[in-house]
Amino acid sequence: MLILFVAITGKSQEKNHFSLFTDRDLYASGETMLIKVYVPADEPSGIVNIDLLNTKGRIISGISKKITGHQADGYIYIPDSLSSGSYLLCTSTKINSSLTFKELYITNRFTGIPEVGTPVRASKIKPLKNRLIDDLQIEGLDKSVKAREKLEVSLNLPKDIVAQIEGNLFVSVSEVTPGYNSQSFQSTIHRDNFKSAEKEGVVLDGYLKDLKTGIPFKNGVVYLSIPDSIPRFDFYITGDDGYFNFQLDNYYGKIPVVVQGFDNEDKHLLKISVNRRDSLKNCLPDFESWEISPAFRTSAEESKDAVTFRKIFNQPEVAVQPAMKPGTDRYPFFGVPNIVVDPQLFINLPDFTEISRELLTGVKYRAYNRIPSLQIFNSAQRTYFNDSPLLLIDGIPVRDLSVIKDLGSKEIAKIEISMNERYYGNLKFPGVLAIHTKKADYSRVLVSDEVVKLNFDCIQPDVTLTTLSEHPLNEPDLRKVLLWNPSVKPGQTIKFNFGTSDLVGNYKLVICGADKDGSIFYKEHLFEVN
Amino acid sequence: MAKRILFLITIFGLLAVSALFAQEKLQKDWKPDKIKGTRFIPYPPYSGTPYFNEKFVLGEIELLDGTKIGNLGIRYSSFQDELIYYNTDIKTQIVIDKISLKGFSYPDELGTKRSFRRQNFDTYLQEERFFEVLSDGNISLLAYRKVDLETCDTSYSKFGLAYMPAYHFYAWSAGKGYTSLKMSRSSLLSKFDKPSQKIVKRLLRKNGIQILDEATFVQAWNLIMQNGLSINF
Repeated sequence: MLILFVAITGKSQEKNHFSLFTDRDLYASGETMLIKVYVPADEPSGIVNIDLLNTKGRIISGISKKITGHQADGYIYIPDSLSSGSYLLCTSTKINSSLTFKELYITNRFTGIPEVGTPVRASKIKPLKNRLIDDLQIEGLDKSVKAREKLEVSLNLPKDIVAQIEGNLFVSVSEVTPGYNSQSFQSTIHRDNFKSAEKEGVVLDGYLKDLKTGIPFKNGVVYLSIPDSIPRFDFYITGDDGYFNFQLDNYYGKIPVVVQGFDNEDKHLLKISVNRRDSLKNCLPDFESWEISPAFRTSAEESKDAVTFRKIFNQPEVAVQPAMKPGTDRYPFFGVPNIVVDPQLFINLPDFTEISRELLTGVKYRAYNRIPSLQIFNSAQRTYFNDSPLLLIDGIPVRDLSVIKDLGSKEIAKIEISMNERYYGNLKFPGVLAIHTKKADYSRVLVSDEVVKLNFDCIQPDVTLTTLSEHPLNEPDLRKVLLWNPSVKPGQTIKFNFGTSDLVGNYKLVICGADKDGSIFYKEHLFEVN
Repeated sequence: MAKRILFLITIFGLLAVSALFAQEKLQKDWKPDKIKGTRFIPYPPYSGTPYFNEKFVLGEIELLDGTKIGNLGIRYSSFQDELIYYNTDIKTQIVIDKISLKGFSYPDELGTKRSFRRQNFDTYLQEERFFEVLSDGNISLLAYRKVDLETCDTSYSKFGLAYMPAYHFYAWSAGKGYTSLKMSRSSLLSKFDKPSQKIVKRLLRKNGIQILDEATFVQAWNLIMQNGLSINF
């Protein structure tokens, strides 16, 4: 019974990990790493995070990808500044405590593998094994092929295997590194239970704390602003733990974001911090010294030269698809404005006090004793609001009124005024004054303890591998990845074309997929390019 | 006796737990985060009512992005054609931005679900209106529950003004737009050609439907639509 229990739990454990594949195991700095991830079927998150980290656990580069059909694929650009050595690729989600790591070796393309120093590799790990299938026939690919040869390869899958496949297959053809066998392994991380799963987009989260005491601040207001033609705005009221989060659904690529947190009663000065995945120090395995084989060293040297040549000939490895943009709101969050003023239609006015006096009906901006005040007329009650309205510059809320003091009409494209008591959820705004500057770069919004401006990485856009036809014949073809198709529709016969490059050596065709029960199967076919 | 007491305690305990969970569910549904609007300013107190539902009722709204927010205290103002909700957190009546809504629904006193949807009224007046959907399909039967402020006899309202219902009914389809209807047999028949009118009359007679008011009109409409007869407009 005990053996049976151990066997069953062991089997279920196997299925609960992420399966991580890369195009190769050895890279040179400046190259692009292509990644495929299979996600466990019971994973509640809709976004998977893939990070490249060094052996000390510091995250060098990371991406987030949308999970479609329990799979995801993406790429990581390897910075030129990385020193040669072992690195780890880690895949995880925001709420899953299970992590899957894969070992990689990266050579700095300027320095190569150093002769001194002891290289290390992960030790005492339990390598993850995928199921090897033998009854998959590969036609049209001999054991030895010529350089720059065009190939048409067929994969014949047995009917029973096709029936068992869940989602798409992944096929790749790439260079093999002799003397290095990369391994994948599982690890765990402690996750806070209250953190929300990422569904349709990444989550931007963080903490709001008292600046003086450092204690998490309760009932603090956190604003999120995303500049756009109609800027996006969202808010969060913090709980006892000072934690806040925003779901950035369907945002792709890098987006400018401004996050600010403050005490609604203006009694405390606060400090806002945004969580970033910067370290996975506590989840790392032990490392042991490792002797680099001469074959591996030669391969690494050749690899780095090929990268440099590709850079010289301006041959990009991948073509990034244009990032999708979520639809902008149909109207601003503060409602359809009562008044819209274009200051360009009037004579040039030097500052905002003049503008408010001369152009803005129902707006009182005054600076008595150098302390600015702003009031808006309440059209429903026929009186001015006592409190300051919500002031927006390029869609970003600004609490310091002096920021607009020297704004002249030359710098302003449009002013929108809402003369109502506006509500957004539980937030109340006694009128709204929205100033759109001509620069529209929200440079007047100043960074402070309470305000964070950042270019936030959302879901990574898809990429395609550049193909042979894109290379002119008079240029060297130094591709190491000959085929990368992370989403192939399963069928009994799958045909695909690819061409070999000028780089001779050992190559590997990999076909991989997931069964309906969640287990991963794969088949490898080694061949040589002469 | 002791057994009976124990049994009763268990039953009451279970009831209390289920009531508690039901309460919790209601609380969880309450998500005012995304609702945008302006403070509601009460209307002048003339005779009649400016509201379609006099009391706030728990209903559901659907936002433009498809988000549904339930368990919301709402009241439809027929006078201004706007939806008011009561934000229990900040204890304020808020007029929800019409442009942010796809529609709303709530159960009336009899428990019947009344559904409204926002549509562009693209006739001589280009405006967004909330229409009550009396019957939905390729051709929908819609009611615009308008209340007008009209002059009246001072014996009815001492200010000489009163809120008077001025409901309008329309048949609407996506391609053809709106056509006005009255809640009468002749108005309904006028939307059919001569041969179809006979069939409609026979159908109504067979099913014993006499069009006397809104309810019987809707009944007749649904019967006609079920029988695949199409109206002309």
